Amino acid sequence: MLMLEAEGKALLAAARIAVPPHAQRVGDPAALAGLPLAFPLAAKAQVRSGGRGKAGGVRRCDSLAEAEAAVAAILATRFGGELPDGVLLEPWLPIAREIYLAIVADGAAGGFVALYAPEGGVEIESGPKPLRYEIGLPRDFRAHEFRRLLEPVEPDRALRERVVALARRLLQVAAAQDCTTVEINPLVQLTDGSLVAGDAKLVRDDAAAFRHADLAAALAAERAREPEDVRRCQEAGLMLVWLEGAVGLVSGGAGMTMAAMDAIAAAGGAPACFLDCSGNPTPAGFGLAFELLDRNPAVRAILVSMFGGGLHTDRVARTLVGILAARGPAAKPVVLRLQGTGSEAATAILAAAGHANHASLEAAVAEAVALGGVAEARA
Amino acid sequence: MSILLGAGARIVIFGITGRFGSVSIRDLRASGSAVVAGVVPGRGGEIVEDVPVFGAAAAAVRETGADCALVYVPAPLALDAVLEAVEAGCRLIAYPGDGLPVADAMEMRAAARGSGAWLVGPNSPGLISPGRGKLGFMPSFCFRPGPVGLISRSGSLSYEAAFRLSRAGIGQSTAIGIGGDPVKGVTAAEAVALFHADPETHAILYLGEIGGTDEYAVAAYARRADAKPVTALLVGRTAPKGRKMGHAAALIGGDADGWEAKTAALEAAGVTVARSLDQLPAAAGESLARAGLAPAPA
Repeated sequence: MLMLEAEGKALLAAARIAVPPHAQRVGDPAALAGLPLAFPLAAKAQVRSGGRGKAGGVRRCDSLAEAEAAVAAILATRFGGELPDGVLLEPWLPIAREIYLAIVADGAAGGFVALYAPEGGVEIESGPKPLRYEIGLPRDFRAHEFRRLLEPVEPDRALRERVVALARRLLQVAAAQDCTTVEINPLVQLTDGSLVAGDAKLVRDDAAAFRHADLAAALAAERAREPEDVRRCQEAGLMLVWLEGAVGLVSGGAGMTMAAMDAIAAAGGAPACFLDCSGNPTPAGFGLAFELLDRNPAVRAILVSMFGGGLHTDRVARTLVGILAARGPAAKPVVLRLQGTGSEAATAILAAAGHANHASLEAAVAEAVALGGVAEARA
Repeated sequence: MSILLGAGARIVIFGITGRFGSVSIRDLRASGSAVVAGVVPGRGGEIVEDVPVFGAAAAAVRETGADCALVYVPAPLALDAVLEAVEAGCRLIAYPGDGLPVADAMEMRAAARGSGAWLVGPNSPGLISPGRGKLGFMPSFCFRPGPVGLISRSGSLSYEAAFRLSRAGIGQSTAIGIGGDPVKGVTAAEAVALFHADPETHAILYLGEIGGTDEYAVAAYARRADAKPVTALLVGRTAPKGRKMGHAAALIGGDADGWEAKTAALEAAGVTVARSLDQLPAAAGESLARAGLAPAPA
C-alpha cells in the first residue's frame, strides 16, 4: 500500500529521521485561521498519484490569504483522477540542493537495494540512472561498501557521511515497517548543510498486514473506499480490475487471464475487465462474476475461459448451467471455453443444456469479439 | 536429466494433515516422486495415507532420508517452516503459497542459498520433471518428458502452454514455476543457468509477464554466444499502467516494466517472442530445430 506523504513522514519522524518541522494536515481552508502558521509555507496535495508538483499540487504561500486560497484550489483539483486526501502545510525549506535516496526491495538482488542520485527532484525519471548498492538482507548493509560507491560522486565528506547514516536508518524503517519502497525525493540539503526529507514515498507490503495493526486498519479503510463491486469481489476471493472494453472476461489464474486479455485485443476487441475466478470457482464466485458483468452496460458479451488443472471443469459446467438458466431472456450473450481436467464431461453437460463448449481459446475469443463488437465499434 | 528434481526424490510434506495432504500424496506418487514423511508440530506419530508424521523436520529427515520439502503452511508460518526444512538438510524446498511478506521471502531465499539448498516459490505451483517426479501441485497431464526447459512466472499460463506443447509433441525436461512475487527462491536468471548446464535440455521456453526484471535476466542469458535457443511468451500486453494484475509483481510502474520494452530487449538478444499462445508450439519447435531436434510424435 502506497502511503500518503504525511503518513510516510510520520513513520520517518517516529524513527527520528529529519522531516520538515511543525507540519500540519488540513482538509478545509477555513481551518487555517486557527492554526499557528509561519510564512512562507508549502501547501502540498496529499495524493498517491505521481506528478503532483508539475500539476500545481505544491504551492508556496507567503500569507494566510494565499494559504487559504492554495488549500481551496488544491482540494478542488484532481491529480491523476484522484481528489487529495487533505493538504500538508510545511515550512518552505531553504534548499541548497536536492538529492535522491531510496531503499527498495528488489528481485534481482534477492533483497534490498539502496539507490542514490546526486541530483534529485521532479526530473529524476529522465536523468541518469541512480547508483545502485545491492544490500540483500537488512543485516548485510555495510556502510563502508555504500561509502565506496558514493566517493566518486560526492567529494564532500560531511554530506557523504550524512547520506550513508541516513541510508541505514531508512533501511531500518523498511525492515521494521515491512516497506518494499522507502523513497526520499527530494532529499533536501538545507543551506546549513543538514539533510531533511522533502518528500516521502513509502510503500508497505500488504502481505505483512497480519503483523501490523496499523497497516491492517489502513487496508481495511482502503477496501471500504473501493467501488462496491471491487470490494465484493475481494470479499468473495475474486480478483477484479475494470478495463475499457466490451468483452466481459471471466478466467482463472493471473497469467491465463492476462493471456486471454491479450488474445481478445489481438482479435480486434478489448477486454472489459481482468476477472480471475480461480480463488472461488463455486456457484457463489461465478454467480457474482455474472451479476457484475450483466449489470455493467459497457459489457456486450461475456467470455468464460477456464483451463482445468486441479480445477474440475465438469463441476464448473454444472455451476454455469445453473447460473445461465437463472438469467433473464435479455441477458448478454455468453461464450464458453472449458478445457483440461473433466472437459469431455463438461462439454456433455453444457450440450445437454443447449450451450456450446469451445475447444480452443482462440475460437472462443473470436466469437466473443464478434458478439461484443470490435474495439472501433464501441461508443 | 532434468534440473533440481530427478527420479528418486524423497519428499517430506509440511502441513500434511491439512486440506491438500492426502490428495497431494497420491498425486506426487503418481508423478514418480516418493512421499516419505510429513511434518506437523505436535502431531508426531500420526499416519496420513501410509505416511508417517513427525513433529519436527530433523527427525523426519533422519528417519526417512527425505531430501525435498513441500511446504503447505499459511503465510504467517511459512518462514519458520522453510528455515526448519533448510536446517534439517533438505536440498530442494517448494513453498507454493501466495501472500508471503517480501521480507520473509528475502530471509527464506538467503537461508536456502546459504546452505546450498534451492527454494522454489513463493506463489508458484512448484516444479515437475515429467516422467521422473514432481514437487508441487501442477496438473501432471499437461506435461510430457522431452527436451524443453520451461520457466514460468504464472502457474495457470504454464499449464495451458505445456498442454499445447505436449500435444504438439514438444516435451519438457523440467517445468519450473518461479512464481509471481518480486523476491523469490529460484529466479529466472538462476533457472536459465540451471537449464544451460543440463545436457538433456536443448531449448528453453520462458513464460513471462509485465512488471519486474526477470525478462531482462533471460535476455542477458540469450546474448551469450553459447546460449541454448530461447523462446518466450509475455502476457499483459493490454494491461494498464499502475494496476496490479493479480500477481504481486505484475505491475507496470515505469516503461521498462511494460510488454513493449521487454519484448524488444528479448528480441534484440535473439529470443523468439511468440505473440500468442497458439504461436507457441511452432516457435518452440523452431528453437528445437535450431538445436538439431524434431518434435516427438504427438
